[in-house]
Amino acid sequence: MKKIIDINNISHTFDDGYMGIKNISLSIFQGEFIILAGKNGSGKTTFLRHLNGLLLPDTGHLIVNGQDVKKHLVQTRRTIGMVFQDADTQIVGDTVFDEVAFGLENLKIKRSQINEKVTQVLEDLNLFHLKDRNPHSLSGGEKRKLTIAGILVMDPQVIVFDEPFSNLDYPGTIQVLTTIIDLNRSGHTIIIATHDVETVIYDATRIIIMEQGLIKEDGAPADIIRLLEFYGVKEPSTSKFGLGIQPWRK
Amino acid sequence: MAQVTPFTYRQGKSILHLLDVRCKFFIICLLSMSLLPAHFLACFFYGFILFFFFKNAGLNILSTLNHIKYFILLLFFIFIARALTMKGDIIFSFYDLSITVQGLNEGFLVSFKFFLVMLTGVIFSSTTKPSSVKSAVQWFLKPVPFVPEKRVAIMISLALSFMPVILNQAREISEAQKARCADLQKNPVKKIIRLVLPLLKKTFLSADYLVLAMESRCYSDDRTDPEFIPSGKEFYFLAASVLLSLGFAWL
Repeated sequence: MKKIIDINNISHTFDDGYMGIKNISLSIFQGEFIILAGKNGSGKTTFLRHLNGLLLPDTGHLIVNGQDVKKHLVQTRRTIGMVFQDADTQIVGDTVFDEVAFGLENLKIKRSQINEKVTQVLEDLNLFHLKDRNPHSLSGGEKRKLTIAGILVMDPQVIVFDEPFSNLDYPGTIQVLTTIIDLNRSGHTIIIATHDVETVIYDATRIIIMEQGLIKEDGAPADIIRLLEFYGVKEPSTSKFGLGIQPWRK
Repeated sequence: MAQVTPFTYRQGKSILHLLDVRCKFFIICLLSMSLLPAHFLACFFYGFILFFFFKNAGLNILSTLNHIKYFILLLFFIFIARALTMKGDIIFSFYDLSITVQGLNEGFLVSFKFFLVMLTGVIFSSTTKPSSVKSAVQWFLKPVPFVPEKRVAIMISLALSFMPVILNQAREISEAQKARCADLQKNPVKKIIRLVLPLLKKTFLSADYLVLAMESRCYSDDRTDPEFIPSGKEFYFLAASVLLSLGFAWL
């Protein structure tokens, strides 16, 4: 598998002296489906924001497709798209179409190409019939899908999700989960920070557990699943009852 | 869910929906200004035209009037103030206050003009996407020196799209406070402070997240220019509005 992200000993300290992440080193390969788990304050979000260049490491190097993130911010943000926890606070456009077009307009792509790509992505995610709607009037699941569309239109190789299932009802969670799994099957590398491991573990290829800014565990779901509760993350019920890893959705 | 107000954009295929937003901007500015010196006949004629476009755009007049009832109340106060303060032929007098024929005429005319301008605004905003308004502002500001038109346009867009979020947050905070008997507090100043402080905190926090989300999507001032799709009928509308404004002056 092709290596996309190479993280070499990165650390980040905030202005108040709090160390968000400490000496993290790992590699991420094309097509992986990674769950990033850990308690609140374990450093998951800080780590994810480094991947997209929203935060830069104080020490160490973060290399994306062979290029240092610090020197190639725009290229990094095109390669690694980020979907934030609260959909409402990341929606910029006042129609669904404009929201998806935002990233491409920033890249100064020609209008005809923007229209073509946005239409394609909206159709792929089954959102085209909503193209003239105000994004804030959509349901929770639709809003989350819209934020994914806004990232997907920029052709990223890696999509990073920060708590993608928070505040979603069951149908909304199914909608978003199905979209994420389809994206992974179409070749995108997926990284999900979540407390809700049970929802995605069946499709994951790797689990990374963080605690106090450090990576404590990194391995295949089957090897890590029994250790989850030791780090304050709920172990899936099927595993607790001895049924191993089962799919969450039918 | 965002609440629907008379100023909320409604999807449609009417001629006003399809008209180029720059043309609409020009026409409402021209007609609103032409209305200022206009007399009764011109105002009634303009009202008739507005009524036609209201129907044509699929808008509900009664519902709109219901939504702007407080504005109509304000117009009533303007009418009363004019009727009582204008000198002329006295109809009725009580102590120092006198209602005059000229005052009633003038009061009615001024209120009616404000009402027509308001309805023009309702038609404009109901048939124009907020994103088109943003694009038109950017287009009109482009020749103005020292004004970063793209930044102004994105600020307008953010303000428009964030308004429902802020209103929703205000409602949530207010309900959370009511659930803890905040209604018992009768001092309106204290009530407002209790609402505004957490609302500001939440709004700034949301703005921080928004900045991160925009940065993560490569936000830059140097962006693709907006697209305008003319309907082909702009010339006729512009010509008609110029003739109409000249007609207002004549009538």
